[in-house]
Amino acid sequence: MSIYKSAVQKPITTMMIFVAVMVIGIYSLTRLPIDMYPEIEPPFISVMTLYTGANAADIEINVTKPIEDRLASVDKLKEITSASYDNMSVVTLEFQWEANLDEAVSDVRNSLDWVLSSLPDDAERPNVFKFNTSMMPIMFFSVTADHSYSGLEKILDQKVVNALNRIDGIGSVSIVGAPKRVVYVDLNQTKMDAYKLTVEQIGNVITAENLNVPSGNVKMGMDDYQLRVEGEFRESSEIKELLVGNYLGKNIYLKDIASVRDTIKDISLDQRVDGKQGLNMMVSKQSGANTVKIASAVKKELEKIKPTLPPDIVVDEVFDSSKFIENSISNLSETLMYEFLFVILVVLFFLGRWRAMLIIVITIPVSLLCSFIYLAVTGNSINIISLASLSIAIGMVVDDAIVVLENITRHVERGGSLRESAIYATNEVWLSVIATTLVVAAVFVPLTMISGMMGVMFKQLGWIVTIAVVTSTVAAITIVPMLASKFMKVKPANRKFMRFGYVNTVGRLLDFIDRGYAKILSWCLTHKKIVIPALLFVFVSSMYTLKFVGIDFMPQADQGRLTAMIELQTGTRVEETMKTVRDFEKVVREKYPEVTTISSSTGSNDEGGVSALFSTNGSNISNITFRLVDLKDRKRSVFQIAEEMRADLKKYPEIINYSVTAASGGIGGGSGDNSISVEIFGYDFDKTNKVAAELKRRIDTIKGAANVQISRKNDRPELQIRFDKEKLRQHGLTSSSVSMSVRNRVDGMISGHLREEGEEYDIIVRLEEDSRNSIQKLEEMTVSTPQGEQIKLRELGKVEEYWSPPNISHKRKERIVTISVTPSGVPLGTIAGQIQEIIAQTEIPQELLVSIGGSYEDLQESNQNMALLMLMSLMLVFIVMASQFESFSSPFVIMFSIPFSFAGSFLALFLTGTTMDMIAMLGMILLIGIVVKNGIVLVDYINLMRDRGMKLYEAIAVSGRSRLRPVLMTALTTILGMLPMALSTGEGSEIWVPMGISVIGGLTFSTMITLIVVPVMYAIVSKSGERDKNRKIRKRFKFLDENETGN
Amino acid sequence: MKAVFIVFNQANTERVEYMLDHEGVRGFSWWENVQGRGSNTGEPRKGTHTWPEMNSALIAIVPDEKVKPILKSVKNMDSINEEVGVKAFVWNIEEMI
Repeated sequence: MSIYKSAVQKPITTMMIFVAVMVIGIYSLTRLPIDMYPEIEPPFISVMTLYTGANAADIEINVTKPIEDRLASVDKLKEITSASYDNMSVVTLEFQWEANLDEAVSDVRNSLDWVLSSLPDDAERPNVFKFNTSMMPIMFFSVTADHSYSGLEKILDQKVVNALNRIDGIGSVSIVGAPKRVVYVDLNQTKMDAYKLTVEQIGNVITAENLNVPSGNVKMGMDDYQLRVEGEFRESSEIKELLVGNYLGKNIYLKDIASVRDTIKDISLDQRVDGKQGLNMMVSKQSGANTVKIASAVKKELEKIKPTLPPDIVVDEVFDSSKFIENSISNLSETLMYEFLFVILVVLFFLGRWRAMLIIVITIPVSLLCSFIYLAVTGNSINIISLASLSIAIGMVVDDAIVVLENITRHVERGGSLRESAIYATNEVWLSVIATTLVVAAVFVPLTMISGMMGVMFKQLGWIVTIAVVTSTVAAITIVPMLASKFMKVKPANRKFMRFGYVNTVGRLLDFIDRGYAKILSWCLTHKKIVIPALLFVFVSSMYTLKFVGIDFMPQADQGRLTAMIELQTGTRVEETMKTVRDFEKVVREKYPEVTTISSSTGSNDEGGVSALFSTNGSNISNITFRLVDLKDRKRSVFQIAEEMRADLKKYPEIINYSVTAASGGIGGGSGDNSISVEIFGYDFDKTNKVAAELKRRIDTIKGAANVQISRKNDRPELQIRFDKEKLRQHGLTSSSVSMSVRNRVDGMISGHLREEGEEYDIIVRLEEDSRNSIQKLEEMTVSTPQGEQIKLRELGKVEEYWSPPNISHKRKERIVTISVTPSGVPLGTIAGQIQEIIAQTEIPQELLVSIGGSYEDLQESNQNMALLMLMSLMLVFIVMASQFESFSSPFVIMFSIPFSFAGSFLALFLTGTTMDMIAMLGMILLIGIVVKNGIVLVDYINLMRDRGMKLYEAIAVSGRSRLRPVLMTALTTILGMLPMALSTGEGSEIWVPMGISVIGGLTFSTMITLIVVPVMYAIVSKSGERDKNRKIRKRFKFLDENETGN
Repeated sequence: MKAVFIVFNQANTERVEYMLDHEGVRGFSWWENVQGRGSNTGEPRKGTHTWPEMNSALIAIVPDEKVKPILKSVKNMDSINEEVGVKAFVWNIEEMI
């Protein structure tokens, strides 16, 4: 028994199955997390090795190189890059997208084991880091305070961080730039010299005095007591009363030679929010957790906590990624609703029957809910990709139901009974319905097979559309005939129509269009010689517009956030950098009322290390984040503001380098930024620097090239102490012992901790600033020899000023300098082309290699992928059609409309000034499916009419007229469905506008052309073929004629 | 006794079933899928893509007096819409066991 027959005969079972599917779908929907993009695990692994005391060049040779050499052979490695800094080497491995990162990590660890022996002895064991999107913070808060500032860290730790950590799904809450309490013992060099004391002695005294020692048990009577010596400091003020030595019979107290400050650590990193001292609090989630839910939970929790905080502490939200997600998703959901409405209206307009419309649109929720089940089962989320996929699917899922219902209606109108008509009408069309679905699947299934970042995005799209369309087909041949058999009304054939009812208004209009089209079609068929060249001309001229359409990689979304990097002359003190930053902040406040929060971070965190992986910092560098008001409340886009800010920054003479970037909703962390990088490979620093500087100068002149940055920073001034080895030996000293002493004096020596309420604070002993702030004073430092003598540093060597490169980068194990360029208002492809010209014109020494990478490289890579994808889709579509029609020529006839749809897309992109990017290209792949579907409907019907014995032209004219409405309906549901998408201006809309435009343009253009091109091509291709076929058949059955003539 | 052979578009199945009951015809043989083509205007019924519709056929051996009402019902059924199609043919039964 066939599926549709069972469905009609067992309506309750059918109903219940669909109700069950819908219930599961709704349940899945409520369980799905909401996110911006599908979860992406960027295939990066970093290996970080610390080697204290070595400069960048040493690190490069002794640490980075051996590690690189060994790791270069790890499986599935795509690219190896490295950066060697002072004290630290970072090797970053990029793997292929399909690589299993856990395996990769263990491979890397194994390989590192081999290297360990060849690394310098003092180098620490390399650490392996795996990047994860959940490491990216989902929320940023700024915390400012006045008089509670010094205790801020403790207050936040106890009240805020602990409370937030309890929220389900929170990954971590981290605080950056918190003031740390320390106890400084600032020693005066002259006084110490006078009393013959050294820093080390004092440090040891402090450590020795600050002890709690368990000293055994004491038994008294029946009890057993623990004996403890409690020597630890209870307060920092005790420290200055310590006895540190004896000179000429007099006791010397610490307060005589030093000042003790219980304070917050000296700043080398200045965190400010709106000019007030503050710190940043970052919240990140566990992978797979629901960003939107967590963000709202965090906000709710913070509201609860706020009243318990001291009143001067202000917690402000700087960035909340959930807001953008929420807005994008609600925008897209709104779009989806509009689409739903449009589809209903189109169906109603063409069919003019309430009940029919209701039966058809029931397939929409069923198919969409099925997609949600897929998302839930595979552990995906509701994100802009899945919602965009649904909005693509929504126009397609009604098509099958329309075909089935139309045929049922025809049977019912002929006077058949409802139940029988439903069964037999479905029987007539179910095969062709499945065939068109296969065509759509042929377009979308290849999408699920792409690798790389695009693959992650398109996989969902491919599956969702395929699942939705397949579900809709199943629904069309089960629940639609079932509902039709139950709820459709048999209308008497010769009833009266209302004067302004459907039949007399819309019906007449549609009849008029039908007749008009039939006329045009028959004219075209008889004037092929005019029509074909005219079509070719239209095609070529619209393809020509492609030349003027810019090419981008990914659309940039306005997230209402800007980041600026300001760099002053190398070696500038933090305090000086801050002054410039404050001034710039003032300018921003005046000129850009859109900016709500400015949070800046100037200087470098002295903990260094890991943070260096993410951003460049130094005492001369400031990173500033601006948060803007919501998109709807401002006129200027984030990109315009960035452009204007760049102009403002240009005016500062002290700023030698700057960049302003509009933070965009990039995919996979860093790779979402839309930039081109020019890579200069070469060993010689001077030569590569020169070429880089020259290229930068020239690229700066390109219109639209912004944020031109050279990766290699300027050489940094450095003070080096050069020891005279002979003198060291005379005093029984070694380089290492002296350098340790110098470190104790300048950087400070940690002599135990001050313990208070369970928290430990460092006690740092070092020279007071006045004794260590010039070369001369450094040379005046006293170190002690093993014999107890005291000797000035000046006696042992010289302090000299040097310049050294702060970082050395490698790519593919070679030294590299990159110049990165962000396009501003000009497409990526255009700028890349201009840069290529510049490179060709610039004189480059032979041993250097210059190439273009960055997003441009991704762009080219994905263009190739896209082309391959398109080819594969076309082939699959051809295969499906060829087997459906059992013919090689019919698929060709239909596929003639595909180039026209592309031409239409280009034209639309050109007319709207939109650039072509991955998403627009995706739209074009979708077009293949929709356009071909229309063609199939038409050709199938022509074939049918001819098989039923009609003449070629008659068949074409009849089919054209009869299939015009279904074709228009399919096209209109999709075009109108995409319209809200193409016109939307809300948050995140930049991402899908290009797709909307390319689909609308392509579909409008190609629908008009399909209706002419396909019939005309059909006429040309099949004319002689059919005649020959008839002749052949006559020949085979010649014996009949012979019989006749024989008589 | 007469043999009544009815060939009809499958879309008429329900009606034919009802008619048999209505006319009190208990015994019959039924072919579910039958191909065919009308002599004058009737479209082919082949169950193919080109001619997707199919006929069914039944033969019922009935007493002579039942033939007339059956043919009348068939005629009425056919007049609902001739395109759908139902035909009846009658001939004599020589012997039965």
